[in-house]
Amino acid sequence: MAKAFKAAVITANDLVEGHSVFLGPEGWTRRIDRAMVALTEEQAAEFDALADRHVIENSVVGPYRVDVTLEDGAPVPISRREQIRAAGAPTIAVGRAA
Amino acid sequence: MLLLDRTGAIDDLWPASGETLPASGRVLVPLARLEEALETGLELGVEIPNTTDPRDLTPHLGRVAMIAVDFPGFADGRGFSIARRLRAEGFLGRLRAAGPVISDQFSYLLQCGFDEVALPEDVAERQPAAHWLAQLDTISAGYQRGINGLGSILDQRRGAG
Amino acid sequence: MYRYDEFDHRFVAERATEFRDQVRRRLAGHLTEAEFKPLRLMNGLYLQLHAYMLRVAIPYGTLSARQMRQLAMIAERWDKGYGHFTTRQNIQFNWPKLKDVPDIIDALAEVEMHAIQTSGNCIRNTTSDPYAAVAPDEVEDPRITAELIRQWSSLHPEFTFLGRKFKIAVTGAEEDRTALKLHDIGVQVVTRGTEIGYRVLVGGGMGRTPMIAKELRDFLPREDLLPYLEAALRVYNLHGRRDNKYKARIKILVHEMGIDAYRAQVEAEFESMDCDAVAAPSEELARIRAYFAPPALPERAEGAPLISRMRAANPEFSAWIDRNTFAHRVPGYVAATISLKPIGGAPGDATAEQMRSMADLAERYSQDEMRVTHEQNVVLPHVALEDLYKVWKGLSAIGLDAPNKGLVTDIIACPGLDYCALATARSIPVAQRIAERFQAVERQEEIGPLSIKISGCINACGHHHVGHIGILGLDRAGVESYQITLGGDATETAALGERTGPGFGYDEVPEVIERIVDTYMDLREHPRESFLQAYRRVGMAPFKEALYAAA
Repeated sequence: MAKAFKAAVITANDLVEGHSVFLGPEGWTRRIDRAMVALTEEQAAEFDALADRHVIENSVVGPYRVDVTLEDGAPVPISRREQIRAAGAPTIAVGRAA
Repeated sequence: MLLLDRTGAIDDLWPASGETLPASGRVLVPLARLEEALETGLELGVEIPNTTDPRDLTPHLGRVAMIAVDFPGFADGRGFSIARRLRAEGFLGRLRAAGPVISDQFSYLLQCGFDEVALPEDVAERQPAAHWLAQLDTISAGYQRGINGLGSILDQRRGAG
Repeated sequence: MYRYDEFDHRFVAERATEFRDQVRRRLAGHLTEAEFKPLRLMNGLYLQLHAYMLRVAIPYGTLSARQMRQLAMIAERWDKGYGHFTTRQNIQFNWPKLKDVPDIIDALAEVEMHAIQTSGNCIRNTTSDPYAAVAPDEVEDPRITAELIRQWSSLHPEFTFLGRKFKIAVTGAEEDRTALKLHDIGVQVVTRGTEIGYRVLVGGGMGRTPMIAKELRDFLPREDLLPYLEAALRVYNLHGRRDNKYKARIKILVHEMGIDAYRAQVEAEFESMDCDAVAAPSEELARIRAYFAPPALPERAEGAPLISRMRAANPEFSAWIDRNTFAHRVPGYVAATISLKPIGGAPGDATAEQMRSMADLAERYSQDEMRVTHEQNVVLPHVALEDLYKVWKGLSAIGLDAPNKGLVTDIIACPGLDYCALATARSIPVAQRIAERFQAVERQEEIGPLSIKISGCINACGHHHVGHIGILGLDRAGVESYQITLGGDATETAALGERTGPGFGYDEVPEVIERIVDTYMDLREHPRESFLQAYRRVGMAPFKEALYAAA
């Protein structure tokens, strides 16, 4: 039996800057709350294809899907790893702030 | 396929064998047909996978004029050691690296004893011969001794000292 | 310290230019990401969870003040004002941008540094004893050999695309402070009669399948070192597995072939090699050795009365002397460890200001030299006893005076899920919570020597297999879970830790560690019986019971 589809967003790293980005309606954004959410496998496949084109065009690196739930309509990653990644920073104070 | 050596693109002088071996001249045979080809008077090249133990070729090194070492991917570096061992065993013929290696490896390949590189089309398209030649000037000498080509920094120091 | 000559300068400058060109070709599309990735990794550049990460090589952990200041400058100019010292004696910057990395590499070259082979399937930074030229039990400064290996392994044409990474450590002492037996190859400088040579170990490593190294040669004449290493690497390169990256390290080859069969192949390869053509000329070794001549330490006051006066002066200073200094072979001097494990800090992190202060202290009081340790601390190797108080005051001013070297809060931790793309769980906050729980200095001293090592994934960068208490963070359906091992040891009596049983949740770990420590305190025969000694005596059972019985 096929795995039940979970809502997903597409993430990658910006080639030049390195930071994590999410595929939004107007291109890649650093904010997951502005990402396009795929609600079906077909939609997700469409987003994958779009992301792959951006890889060939050299704007992002290593796109993949992130499973999310929707909280007040905004996507929130399910796994701890993707939550930390989406936050764009470690969970601890770093450098001078530590 | 793009074939190149340290002078740039070159012609391929080693036609691959077909169903039957030619009556005369040169031929490049896969390792599996080496025994058969050794019986002929042909000028021989042999193409070997990079899982070949180079010592298995030792008895034939005087009879074979060219060895093409397969690189299934550029990150699989077994071919570098195969080349160095073949040279250490005294192989004086032509050594070819065959597969999707990249121009950044050109110096390493030559230093390990390869003479030429046979590239698939898609790699050659992104990395034309000019890129390969440009790589030759990047590092003027390394630290290792006993390798082909470049002088060793260790020896240069002795000269300078 | 080693200094570059014109040839080293040219080599590193050319490598910097080459990398700049690789970045240009990547951005221009001549190189795909698949092609660029191994090239950038071979120059220490990763793509992590939030950003690129640049790992800079600190060969055998030795740094000058000038170099440390340049690292501080890089941290401020191109990063977020701090860096992370690693278990391989390197430093990592967590936030560089790809377009800036060529400039960072140029800035490193200015101070005789680079990022060559700090990652990738090649020979990595050669590590060594942080107490080199200090330890009384040393046959010879191991950095002479480590520098020779650094040069030989740099851009080695044959061994730059190995099946997997390859780590070499060198020690010159009996007491092992390099985790020698956990390296792909471990080289120990030894003597036979009056001849200096090497004992060579092979096939150690951590990761998914940890193994203790086996002896390959009990004595190798020193002129044979490079040819012998070439033979050992060639056999690995030809026969090591390539079908599964988790089985591609040399430890698996040695394990599957058996050490005797592997040795026979290496010796055959070595026999057939033109050793004279490969070996370093003796002049080269002499040239390198001259750089590592012991520093001319001026005669300074020494003796027990001086130390007792210092101890009496200040109890905090006294605790720091007890924990963080190491006897120097020259009377009147010690090696002082700067703990990068302040309570609540990220293990191994230092800000640019801290780096500059450490550089100042090294320049003024330690012959302009520092050593990064595999325990993620920094050593000032040559400090006069008379200067020790000033050093300690200087460290207090920057918050790096924790008197905890080798104690329960001197925790080794990888960056974990807070930074690392491979990680499956967080490491740093776990270390912080444990350290906070044990922060009372008296309690730490009462517990005694205890090394906790935390890895945020199976790759074991935090060396958890050889922690007296090891902690391995895993992902269980998106949730962090931590396995505990006990009894690991990274020294000459190396041992791999044994798992206690099922793992624990993120919030439970500090409590679990405390229960283990309390169990040890209850069962030790006397206060001088260390955790490791006690564990070796009683085994796992009492700890298991404390953790899992009557839950």
